[in-house]
Amino acid sequence: MKYPNHKLILTLTATILAVGSAKAFELSSTTYSNLPPIDFHGYLSQGFLDSSSYNYLGDTTRGSFLFSEAGFNASMNPFPNTRITAQAFSYDVGQDVGKYDVGLDYASIEYTVNDYFGVRAGRVRRPEGIYNDIQDVDLARTSVLLPQGMYDARWRDFYESVDGGEFFGTFPLSKAGSLSYETFAGVANPAPDGGLATYLRSQLPANVQLDAVNSPVEGGVQLWWNTPLNGLRIGGMGEYISGAGDLTTVQTPVGPKNGATTYSVWVYQTSVEYLWKSWTLQTEYYNKTRTYPTGAYINSDSWYVSAAYRFNKWFEAGPYYTEYYADTTQRGNSLDYQKDAALSLRFDLKSWWVFKVEGHFIHGTGLLEDSIQPTPQDDRGWFMLAVKTTFSF
Amino acid sequence: MKSTTLKLGLLCAVLAGGAIRALALDGGVVIANPGVAADSLTADALKNIYTAKTKYWDGGQNIVIAVLPDKTDAALQQASGMDASQFKTFWQRLAFSGRGQEPKSADDAAALVALVASTKGAIAIVPADAALTGVKKIDIK
Repeated sequence: MKYPNHKLILTLTATILAVGSAKAFELSSTTYSNLPPIDFHGYLSQGFLDSSSYNYLGDTTRGSFLFSEAGFNASMNPFPNTRITAQAFSYDVGQDVGKYDVGLDYASIEYTVNDYFGVRAGRVRRPEGIYNDIQDVDLARTSVLLPQGMYDARWRDFYESVDGGEFFGTFPLSKAGSLSYETFAGVANPAPDGGLATYLRSQLPANVQLDAVNSPVEGGVQLWWNTPLNGLRIGGMGEYISGAGDLTTVQTPVGPKNGATTYSVWVYQTSVEYLWKSWTLQTEYYNKTRTYPTGAYINSDSWYVSAAYRFNKWFEAGPYYTEYYADTTQRGNSLDYQKDAALSLRFDLKSWWVFKVEGHFIHGTGLLEDSIQPTPQDDRGWFMLAVKTTFSF
Repeated sequence: MKSTTLKLGLLCAVLAGGAIRALALDGGVVIANPGVAADSLTADALKNIYTAKTKYWDGGQNIVIAVLPDKTDAALQQASGMDASQFKTFWQRLAFSGRGQEPKSADDAAALVALVASTKGAIAIVPADAALTGVKKIDIK
């Protein structure tokens, strides 16, 4: 069983005790009379993963506590129509991804002209579907693990934020509801210990060393139609990523040789969410095409349906089913797909303390790509247990 | 007969028009900080505030939503279209993605009224029988 390092456990425990009875706090303008109020919020999550077969998201066949997240943010409104906000973040998924490095999750200045138009610049969360910009916020959903074919916990460093900016706003459509938009562009910053780097290393032969991961340029738009039916919204997202890839050093008999791989990516995603009474009903479809300079391409996709019901203030539960295909031309090969049926139980023990337990039955090994070589064939299915607790203020 | 039908129709129209003019929230009234210029809001405008589509008052003061958990859930659902749990999750998503600020909360009606009175740009739904000291009532149309 893999445990986090002990210094971190002590630090996190002290933080938990301090946060346990805390509410979000604010530096009042009466303390610093010329300063607008600054709001602080944060969260701390610790999870446990255990799988019956195959190590997935860590050394999980022996049980793994290397599944943690912590965020701390501050925001203020220094001028009319203006907001400044920033969040520091640390996480770990397994022994190779994240490693509790603390990074700048987002930091932006935002100016809202009116309801129809605003601009946000800096390091901004990338809008994509229901969960991309909040996939590491355990509080914001019923489940422990989001559908991994679409929201891979190991790849957050690549997918969650861009350095650039976005325009946003909402247009009323009279009796047809309203249309919200976010259009963004910027540069991604894959971390040296992030999921993308780990995946690329796992794909390289023994004589090839990964030197760097490219910081690709990305641009896209997310639209949400807030329909006239209260609680129902329908979304669509399109994005283009240019210059993804890596730099490598290849050890040859005549000495080291530099290598490089680049490719472009098209992504689109459709989403439907319906909040009806105590139900939260969601479904999404995701499609990605990676194209190399030679013209070769790989198309992958994923979809899920989910339902969650809040029984009372402290208990919510719900199942989801998801499928992922690494290569849409190989839908029959369990090496290239991963199908997952999950049931999640969420307990809101306090307004600041959430506990979740979740079971998965998984068929296929299409997402084990970076943890095991060669990827094993699965024709019978396997189980995974996920447990997580989160404190917030 | 025709004139009676016409009179009944006109009466229904008047009653319907009267209902449209003022929307009563279930067990709650909307209050705001005295510095807020608006004296009334449409139901759509109120929903836009509670669903983060409108973030600033005219003049640029940021809107600060304050809530009283458990006591005004029905009125909150009328205003936002979400139950209390969905509302909390909605704003947590915004707060932890850099797109908004979580609503402030108070433990009782008096504390909520005091919070709104002392916070520029604040708006809240309080129980209908709460004492509204230092705040202004917002009519919902």
